[in-house]
Amino acid sequence: MRIKPPLTPTLIVIVGLLTISPVLMLAVGSFSEGFGTFGNFTVDKYVEAYTDPELIAVLWNTLIFTLGSAAVATLLALFLSYTNTRTNIPFKFFFGIISIVPMMIPHILFAVSWVLLLNPSNGILNRVMMDLFGLDRAPFNIYSLPGMILVEGLLDLPIAYLIIAPAMSAFDVSLEESSKVCGASPLRTLTRVTLPVLRPAILASVILVIVRCLASFAVPSVIGMPGRIYVLATHIYRIISTGFAADYGKAAAVGMSALAASILLIYLYRYLTSESGKYVTISGRGFKPALIDLKNSKVPLLGVVGLLSFVLIVLPVLVLFYTSMLPYVMVPTAKAFSQMGWKNWTDVLRDPISVLALRNSLTLGLVGATLGVILSIFVSYVIVKVRTTASGILESLSFLSFSFPGIVIGVGFMWFFVRTPLYATVWALLIGYIATYLPYGIRPLSSAFVQIHSHLEESSRVCGANSFTTLRRIVIPLLVPGILAGWILMATMFVRELTLSVVLSRPGSEVLAVQILRFAEDGLWGRLSALGIIMIFLSSFLVIAASVLGRKLAKRDSLED
Amino acid sequence: MEIRIAGLTKDFSSEGKRIRALDHVDLTIPANRIFTLLGPSGCGKTTLLRCIVGLESPDSGEIAIGDEIVLSKERSIFVPPEKRGLGMVFQTYAIWPHMNVFDNVAYPLKSRNTPMEEIRIRVAKALAFVQMEGFETRPSTKLSGGQQQRVALARALVAEPKVILFDEPLSNLDAKLREETRKELRRFLTELNITAVYVTHDRVEALALSDRIAVMRAGRIVEVGDPKKIYFRSDSRFVADFIGRANLLRGRVVMLEDAHAVIDTDIGTIVGLNSQKIAPGQEAVLCVRPEFIKLAATGAAGGRNIFRGKVETLLFTGEAYEGEIRIGDTLVTTTISPTVPVAEGGELFLSFDPDHCFLLPA
Repeated sequence: MRIKPPLTPTLIVIVGLLTISPVLMLAVGSFSEGFGTFGNFTVDKYVEAYTDPELIAVLWNTLIFTLGSAAVATLLALFLSYTNTRTNIPFKFFFGIISIVPMMIPHILFAVSWVLLLNPSNGILNRVMMDLFGLDRAPFNIYSLPGMILVEGLLDLPIAYLIIAPAMSAFDVSLEESSKVCGASPLRTLTRVTLPVLRPAILASVILVIVRCLASFAVPSVIGMPGRIYVLATHIYRIISTGFAADYGKAAAVGMSALAASILLIYLYRYLTSESGKYVTISGRGFKPALIDLKNSKVPLLGVVGLLSFVLIVLPVLVLFYTSMLPYVMVPTAKAFSQMGWKNWTDVLRDPISVLALRNSLTLGLVGATLGVILSIFVSYVIVKVRTTASGILESLSFLSFSFPGIVIGVGFMWFFVRTPLYATVWALLIGYIATYLPYGIRPLSSAFVQIHSHLEESSRVCGANSFTTLRRIVIPLLVPGILAGWILMATMFVRELTLSVVLSRPGSEVLAVQILRFAEDGLWGRLSALGIIMIFLSSFLVIAASVLGRKLAKRDSLED
Repeated sequence: MEIRIAGLTKDFSSEGKRIRALDHVDLTIPANRIFTLLGPSGCGKTTLLRCIVGLESPDSGEIAIGDEIVLSKERSIFVPPEKRGLGMVFQTYAIWPHMNVFDNVAYPLKSRNTPMEEIRIRVAKALAFVQMEGFETRPSTKLSGGQQQRVALARALVAEPKVILFDEPLSNLDAKLREETRKELRRFLTELNITAVYVTHDRVEALALSDRIAVMRAGRIVEVGDPKKIYFRSDSRFVADFIGRANLLRGRVVMLEDAHAVIDTDIGTIVGLNSQKIAPGQEAVLCVRPEFIKLAATGAAGGRNIFRGKVETLLFTGEAYEGEIRIGDTLVTTTISPTVPVAEGGELFLSFDPDHCFLLPA
């Protein structure tokens, strides 16, 4: 497989345009008075943004929110991966489910389901508790920092688990055993050996969750804003969406520090994960750690794990479906069940904006993921197979967007698109999506390319196949699993995309998540739930369809003459 | 088919430095023989193989396979690998994981648009030849290392190539399987009567498999010859040292005796073969392999090529003792029969076989 040299520069230009231009426009925008006076240098917006008396509270909230969520997610992940790899707990398949399935449920719907359960005025769980114990005040208030931290922590648990679990299972148990032989108590072994050896993985998990929380918009907007708790993302949102005039200059000025913090953290994360090789102790022999016999604590632990998977997967869907069938939110009683009907569903399907949003999101998912994967194929090829200095630049460029907080980069794109005919079209969203989520396509494809040893291509040439046949018969079929994984990841991300869309979506280019946010702001919980369930179905349908198609493609090729 | 290589040169640039992988290589690989390119890693042997097959393009030189010139820099001829009609077994075997055994072996025939009926017959024949019949529908990911190796061989043979090339095909197998496969490969290739070019860094493999060996070093061919010539009467000190364990003793030639010469070394005067006709008074190196240094009876003291030594270390390896004997200030390695009563620190007499001591230019 040989592609002519201009490929690398071309890709650098494309990826550079996608990732650098919004950052550049954000920077230029932050030094401008407004869209009208673009380019006249001024620091007014910085002065305005950073002398804002509310900023201190916002930064404090952001700090507590990100650190708290990172702690919740990482501690839960440590608990889960330890019980999975080190104890004889039954039903280990639960752990796989917990780590993968919650990614399918869009964050905004997860946040909404908790609002429906625990809001102080008519939260279902609050009402039940009040009836049961005769309380006159709701026992829980989700509209609080602890509420935000709990929900965000649960949402980021899969990410933390995917980082910590491999490190835990690669851990060489003899390190612990030798500590025990040296006379250390189990607690001392845990604190002096196990946790220090896992430190890079734990740190990596904490940093990645902090970056995700900085970028998170669903929880801060659905849970934080009704409780008047603003973090950076919602602070920026407030600047551009409320008041008489949206102030994109000030938003850009605030966004610059959020972006800087994110980029810094991501580079720290990459440094840690590249360094972690010397800590993670993988030994070649197939050791099997002696499992800790849980004895009496087996049932309670299993209960905790079961509860977690229920809370993470079943509960949100259940609550949403229940709410979608009711005229207003109420406690599940005989009365509630007698009032159930499909009215919310028909309302949503008759609502022209919801239908438009559905169509836009589907288009963005299908077209965006396809274009994104095609770009990822070329970029991964250059990163993995060409391996020149220029391809190193391309790699850094394409991973830059991994650190982008959606709303900040959305403001950057706004400055960019407002001067082009793309403004307020679905295409603006498409370009923004691909730019922001490019790493999600590149990662599975680069690992697919890594697996294609150059000998596999060379031996095809020696067997008499020309380079085109080699590409068609050897390289592409071997790439199919990677292409499929990249496509599914991108398509599901695009169908549920909220943070970028909330800035770039305009009348006519509505998308599902933004429409759901509008319903939440108006308190239309029934319609919201109906649309939410449709959204979950749409993502699941795309995943299943892509897998079936991919399997067919792979089969057809092997039978082909 | 004979392969003729002339003036082949190839440079690689790595981290700004230019490395000469092949340095004006001239070589004729005889038809229907097993020809081995042997050398330490980085000597250019794999690069030479890849030039023959067409996966590398040299900077200058010419390669002809049979009557066809497949590469000539001067005449701007470059036949791509798919048009050279060769077979190759890669170090990693390069079995395509998304195809089953049949599809892997059928691939070269399909690429040449062979009719399906004929493909079936020839694939079955190739698989039978490597004793893998019945494995047609097995997914290639479900094959052991040895089986992958056979499938790779079947795939290389199925299109009846003019030449078959091997790039260290046994280096990924474990020691026991490697020995068995070596024997089988030798049998397969002798049966086929085909030109085979084999690359390895393993001297035992090269000696056991080959009809002819070319030893390479730093991009050049150092010596070409049959295994016995390379082992017993190598022309070069590097080759003598590389092909097997050797005691190399520096000295000066004192006098000639027909085919032999007497050389004065640190341990005394030794008689050895002087096939390179090194003149008296010249510096030379005497090479003797451990198995040709034998224990001698005490009564032989003072005789020709007999030396008195002290056992410095003694390692029991099962089939023999491996002894390091100090003669004067020099340590000599020898193999001693395991039944002989010797002990570390003991004294003994060693006899150097004059017909297996050979002189090399210093």
